Amino acid sequence: MIRRDQVAQRLELNAPLAATVLTSFIKDAVLTAQSSGVVLGLSGGVDSALAATLAVHALGPERVHAFLMPYRTSSPESENDARAVAGHLGIPHRKIDISPMVDAYFTAEEPDADPGRRGNKMARERMTILFDQAKKLGALVLGTSNKTEILLGYSTIFGDNASSLNPLGDLYKRQVWQLSRHLGIPAQVVDKKPSADLWPGQTDEGELGFDYGTADEVLYLMFDLGLRPAEVVARGYEERVVERIVWLEQQFRFKRRLMLIARLSGSAINLDQEIPRD
Amino acid sequence: MAETSTTLTVGLAQIDCRLGDVAGNVERHLAWIETARGQGVDLLVFPELSLTGYRLLHLTSRVSLRADSPELARLAAAAGPMSVVLGFVEEDDRGLLYNSAVLLQGGGPAHVHRKLYLPTYGLFQEERFFGAGKRLDLAPLPGGRGGVLICEDMWHPELARRLAVAGARLLVVISAGPGRIGAGALADSQEVWETLTRSSALLNTCWVVYCNRVGWEEGSFYPGGSHVVRPGGEIVERAPFLEEHLLTAEIDLRDVDRLRWRLPLLDDERHDIEGPA
Repeated sequence: MIRRDQVAQRLELNAPLAATVLTSFIKDAVLTAQSSGVVLGLSGGVDSALAATLAVHALGPERVHAFLMPYRTSSPESENDARAVAGHLGIPHRKIDISPMVDAYFTAEEPDADPGRRGNKMARERMTILFDQAKKLGALVLGTSNKTEILLGYSTIFGDNASSLNPLGDLYKRQVWQLSRHLGIPAQVVDKKPSADLWPGQTDEGELGFDYGTADEVLYLMFDLGLRPAEVVARGYEERVVERIVWLEQQFRFKRRLMLIARLSGSAINLDQEIPRD
Repeated sequence: MAETSTTLTVGLAQIDCRLGDVAGNVERHLAWIETARGQGVDLLVFPELSLTGYRLLHLTSRVSLRADSPELARLAAAAGPMSVVLGFVEEDDRGLLYNSAVLLQGGGPAHVHRKLYLPTYGLFQEERFFGAGKRLDLAPLPGGRGGVLICEDMWHPELARRLAVAGARLLVVISAGPGRIGAGALADSQEVWETLTRSSALLNTCWVVYCNRVGWEEGSFYPGGSHVVRPGGEIVERAPFLEEHLLTAEIDLRDVDRLRWRLPLLDDERHDIEGPA
């Protein structure tokens, strides 16, 4: 059975082949939907940089529309990095400050809201802007959530996890990094600490309580290979971390399934009638 | 001594299909049939469920055809002297549905193979929507009798073996095999399929042609990678990854006999061994 020191190697990808497949995915989805291209939020982080790069490979730069959507407390470094990515790719980009919309609600209605609620609101504000811009441009919303954060539920439901298509959803975080390096995404973006930038100083790993390297390996062993938590711990992973990952994976499953519909008839949507889309 | 022709040109139409759009897919087939006829193809092979797309789920019952349907008759007519193997959702007299392959020849269906092994695990849900075939028969392929198998049928190697023992010198495998990649130079899925087809061509000492589709369905891709394997297991032609392509190869069925004289595995096959208990 697999040893801990073998897991990292098993998570390696043939990066050129992965890029070819994911590029084809974006091209096919845009063609099938007969849309003009894609829109995406460029945060300055590695996930959206990779999604944008793949989209440029698929569609060319002029059909990839990037939006920088900072809140007034967002780090200026994030915006700089987002601009660096857009400049590097040569894609049209536009900044829309979400502070007035977010503040209007909290100031008038919910002045005592905690940072978590404010962060969720910001994520959903960005989502509504992206879908509106997609409508305006006849484009699709390109998702940027990776497999690690989807499995951990580390996202805002109907916020950053909402999209028309997501090329990164089956890539663990380290595979995002591997592919990003392969595709020449600027090092300042690939090498920095991941952060949702929802409040000053926030880092993903600080908030989660473990690092992505560990999370990827534990999730791979359980989700992809079917090991039980005790079998993961027996391979040398910290019990506290494994328990926390198990809890997160179970707690946030609802974010991975759309529309919980109460079934009354014998032909309920998605239960009795699973109608695929091409 | 007069020599009867044992060579034929096989064409593998590695196409994409629109899910649930039979009329549109018929048109696509007609275009590829015309191209293949222009290239002198004797046997043209399309992928599994090529007339309907693969991941049908509850669309399955909306796209079924009988083997004597006008759609298939139209394709058979367009094929002219060429033989065509394609995949479709077959509806029988009782209204049961099958994942079938039909051989169109001389203006109509000459052979139907109903998929025998229906994968229902992982992303596959075939037993929910299809009945399993119950018969394995030789097909009257150009150049002699051969076998037609569908995708998962190849994962149960006794089927190819039985066809070879019964006289098949060519196995036609149609597939809608989803792609997977890892660290390797070839896609993981391609490695697996080439292991299956090459070992079959080696152990059954026959030609194996494998036609897989390309395109995307609900986030899952079909990588293509269709190929032709010589008796003994050498890949002689391989279609590109992810792209629609017509792969043609000239194959000599006499190569089967030549190999079997040197490597008489089928002749040595024993059917009288007892056990294990």
